[in-house]
Amino acid sequence: MSSQTGKWREESILIICPGSQSTMAQLGCADLTPPARRFPTRMFKDEDSDDWRPYYTTKRRKTTLASAPAAPAAPAVNGGAKKDEDDQWEYFEDPDSDEGAVYPIQAGRIANMDAFLAFLDHVHSILTNTYHNTPIMLMASPQWTRPDCETVTRYIFEKTKTPALCLIHSGVATQYGLKWPNMTVVDIGFEKVDVTCIYDSCIVSHVDVGSYPDPEAMREISGGEIFTRKLLKLLEGKGFNREMAEQLKKSSVCEVLPYVVDSPRLMNLPSEDAPVPTKAAAEASMIVEPIDELDLDGEAKEAEADGVLDIANIVTSGNAREFLAKKEKEKTERARLAKKGKDKEIADAAARALRLPNSKRVRNMFCYEDLITEDVLVQPSAPASTSESTTAATGTSEVQKTEPGADQQQPSASEAQPTSDDAPKPEAPAAAEPAVVPAAPETAVIAERQIKRVRRDIEVGLERFLFADRSEIDRIAEAIYRAVQGIREMYMRPPCWENLVFVGNGARVRGLKENILQTLQARHLISPSSATMFTSELPSNMGTPTGTGSQTPTSSFAGGPPHQLPTSSSVNPLLQAATTAGLAVPTGGGVAGADGGPSHHFHSQTPTAIKLAQLPTYLSEWNKHGFEEAMFLGAQVAARLAFCLHNLDAQGTEAQRLMSLSRVDYNEFGPKGIQRHSMLG
Amino acid sequence: MSQQPLTTSVQPTETYGGDEVSALVLDPGYCSTRAGYAGEEMPRQVIPSFYGHIDGRDIFGDEVIVPRAGFEVRNYMNRDSVVEDWDAATKIWEHLLLKRLQPERPTPPNKNGLNIGDDGDVAMGDGDNNDENMVDNLEKPLAESPLLMTEAPWNSAKAREKAIEISMETWGCPAFWLSRTPVVASFAAGKATALVVDVGGANASVTAVHDGMVLKRSIQKSPIAGLWLSNQIRTMWEQNEPKVDLVPTFMVENKKPVEAGAPADARLRTFPFPIADSFRAFEEERLLTEFKESVVEVWRGPGRYMAPGNEDYARSQPGRVFEMPDGSNQMWREQRYKVSEGMWDETAAYASAGADEEGRVSKGQTILSLIKASLEGVDIDLRSNLIANIVVTGSTTLLNGFNDRLNMELAAMYPGLKIKVHAAGLTSERRFGAWIGGSILSSLGTFHQMWISKKEYDENGPGIVEKRCK
Repeated sequence: MSSQTGKWREESILIICPGSQSTMAQLGCADLTPPARRFPTRMFKDEDSDDWRPYYTTKRRKTTLASAPAAPAAPAVNGGAKKDEDDQWEYFEDPDSDEGAVYPIQAGRIANMDAFLAFLDHVHSILTNTYHNTPIMLMASPQWTRPDCETVTRYIFEKTKTPALCLIHSGVATQYGLKWPNMTVVDIGFEKVDVTCIYDSCIVSHVDVGSYPDPEAMREISGGEIFTRKLLKLLEGKGFNREMAEQLKKSSVCEVLPYVVDSPRLMNLPSEDAPVPTKAAAEASMIVEPIDELDLDGEAKEAEADGVLDIANIVTSGNAREFLAKKEKEKTERARLAKKGKDKEIADAAARALRLPNSKRVRNMFCYEDLITEDVLVQPSAPASTSESTTAATGTSEVQKTEPGADQQQPSASEAQPTSDDAPKPEAPAAAEPAVVPAAPETAVIAERQIKRVRRDIEVGLERFLFADRSEIDRIAEAIYRAVQGIREMYMRPPCWENLVFVGNGARVRGLKENILQTLQARHLISPSSATMFTSELPSNMGTPTGTGSQTPTSSFAGGPPHQLPTSSSVNPLLQAATTAGLAVPTGGGVAGADGGPSHHFHSQTPTAIKLAQLPTYLSEWNKHGFEEAMFLGAQVAARLAFCLHNLDAQGTEAQRLMSLSRVDYNEFGPKGIQRHSMLG
Repeated sequence: MSQQPLTTSVQPTETYGGDEVSALVLDPGYCSTRAGYAGEEMPRQVIPSFYGHIDGRDIFGDEVIVPRAGFEVRNYMNRDSVVEDWDAATKIWEHLLLKRLQPERPTPPNKNGLNIGDDGDVAMGDGDNNDENMVDNLEKPLAESPLLMTEAPWNSAKAREKAIEISMETWGCPAFWLSRTPVVASFAAGKATALVVDVGGANASVTAVHDGMVLKRSIQKSPIAGLWLSNQIRTMWEQNEPKVDLVPTFMVENKKPVEAGAPADARLRTFPFPIADSFRAFEEERLLTEFKESVVEVWRGPGRYMAPGNEDYARSQPGRVFEMPDGSNQMWREQRYKVSEGMWDETAAYASAGADEEGRVSKGQTILSLIKASLEGVDIDLRSNLIANIVVTGSTTLLNGFNDRLNMELAAMYPGLKIKVHAAGLTSERRFGAWIGGSILSSLGTFHQMWISKKEYDENGPGIVEKRCK
């Protein structure tokens, strides 16, 4: 049966890419689209049994049977009836709540296998119809251990009717998405960063940061979360909470400034010492800040903002007294301006301010959208739980729908909407006012859950640049350096340096990729040496003359010459010969064993070039979506190859057979078969 | 053990079929410690044997060794590649075997709650779901994985007993085996009888292996290996005109290109805390490794490097440029041969200015003397077979030209004998030769009867390792 080809249709393949925060999933890989569904990767422990529930569930006193008609939506989606038969109590599922959530994947590792398996079951049951013959493509993080993979395999084959399973390493998946045979995949996730070097489609080196945090002391995480925490720390004094920091990080005003080699802080912060227009603009933008009704402590905040700014500027300029004096002057000036209240002048200044790019402005606004869920209690005994929905990173921005009645929540609505962090949020007309859509009252006495959407503009100062902690960026840059330099075979290093790819939603932080690249280039790039340019010597990337009597210099490096050589005709003939020389002559030398592998004499220092890999342009949907989730694209491509390709030759059929574990092979080899029949690298 | 020579074409995966055990293989060395699953081609985890010590805690792995206040770098091995600090050894091995190669174990408080919901028959290789088993088994993290460890051939009986004690009692391994590195390295090359020339980080050793057994009298070792070579490079840089400053990568924030031989134009990083010498030394070693990879070369002949005319010839040859992390760069010509020549010719070694004992090479320490002494320690009948099966392993043998030189010298030393040097072509196969051999060995179906089982250990105590693992 395994030799049978083309058994499955593209529409019937289930693709699951679990992440530590959200899981991308989709049934079908026909169109190579961005993920259709997203699930928060979390489960909830059932209080009464040891089962896992996909949503936070609370018990509430049921007072009338009238609410029953509203219920069908939830069970239909969840595949399990959550209604208690008891007349007194009923269960409510709140898909947005994360109270008591267990996150089965932490920094790539499967921290709680039971919960993870239950989660897979949940995803599988939502997306598939049991009558379908659905092969599964499941993405595995590099941190999954061999027993982990086997456990997952066993569970999937025993719990589902899947005819075949393919586990794909996330780095390999990215590679399938971006098609380059050699690349370095930098996956900046929620709490970890994975650097995987792939040469000729094989994983040749891997370094992870933050994946194995020390449980005793500081949890040394990395990835996107570290930046949120940093922002929060900087802005805590201004009344920011975690959710605000998260939204600020995702907004367009928050960015990592370019790496500046000479600057004392390694970045050029905009300062108030900038030329006059900037200054005026900055002032104006401060003045025109609308203090919305909800922001009761707006004034206080602004005062505090000044304080924070002072520190930042004093550090930059190193001249405290002068700065303070200037600041004082500015303040009085601003007060005067404000008093005069010349609208036109202010408007002009504001217009100028808007023209300045974010990175040149000392302060900028971002629009914070808050969701307030509250139970409007109509009956005193109902447990009123007013909680700000601080759901997962992907959770909040999606839920823009006000849902009347908690028991009618539509989990699919929030899960289905793809998050696009980059997309600017639509400007709400009533930004300052809470948009309250009153729920349709089902019965007079039941407690209603209402979600209010509150938008407000918040001004932030330099914190929105300062959050990019040098030491954190250095950790990532160093991981990349060590991963590539740690490739055992030296000739594999240059192609890996020249095809860097940043994926993972942590890489969406504006300017982060560029900054890392600039850091690497400023710190590690090996420059063309004057010793090889102007003397009659060969650059070090040239092959060593072998001891076989032939003194012809050979170069094994077929790519561009790392040491840029002058191309004029007056160039040293040795150089000319060397740069145009063919491949290396293998050393015979009576050394057995070396004859099997390719003989490379690449001993050049690396990196001589550090570049980002070209991203494909022919997938318009992904161009819009961004390639941060390229691993999902790659999983789809790989799924097609593994499950859908037919009419292959014998070799191709065998290769395809090794790409996934079919049920026949599972019955023969057991879960261990997944080690060979998969794409774990 | 296997009496017949193994060939690399024998895929371990073919032989174990149904009764495969999920064994782990651990190969500790002075510079790095390798760990992975038996039957795989490469170790999954390779971390430095150096570990960080900060605020009374030990932290492991390459990524944690970064500049920090009050941070020290230590090593759990001594320069003889024998475990020195058993507490740290246990912790670093646990970090590898339990934390990185085994699934996460739930923390004790919620252990009960989480495990009841387990599907019972779901997990096989992990120690999570031993609910039905006894409580003490729950505590033991490796209750389902046999463990094969490697050791230096000169390891002490006490250290061997300690190793089995930890794996049996602390980790609860069901089976254990301790193998000497030359034996497994020769297996990795597909041979049961070989003369193993292992030039690694801290030690160079030559050992005769016959039918999978180490011939004790043939064991020869010397410190002429990677670290010694690093010191040679240091000395060479000090004696260079102008003196080459060793600025490790972590000190450099960014650099600008400069002319060859010109002083560096780099912006250095400043740390608000003192950097421990041990940390700096560790980081310097990374740089020296890069220099070894891309510049250092072994003189291939004719004759020795010090023979008249050779040095001049080397000087006329194209050199290699090396750029330091701070951007300063220089062309290295004849020095790059000279720096490694001490491995072959004790008179060529750089003498350290500071009368450093480590830099000295005595006549008996060169690679050739080791081979000679080793062969003299074995029965004369075996010599010709050994010399026709020389296995070269260890990362320092990856120096460009090492094998050519070895071939040449051996041919000069043993004229008329058939000499065959076997050196794996892939870099990683030579770096992890011992681990790969261990992986092959422990996944062989025929090896299953060899393991020391928990029962045997319980009956005989740790002394069993001396009796069984000879």
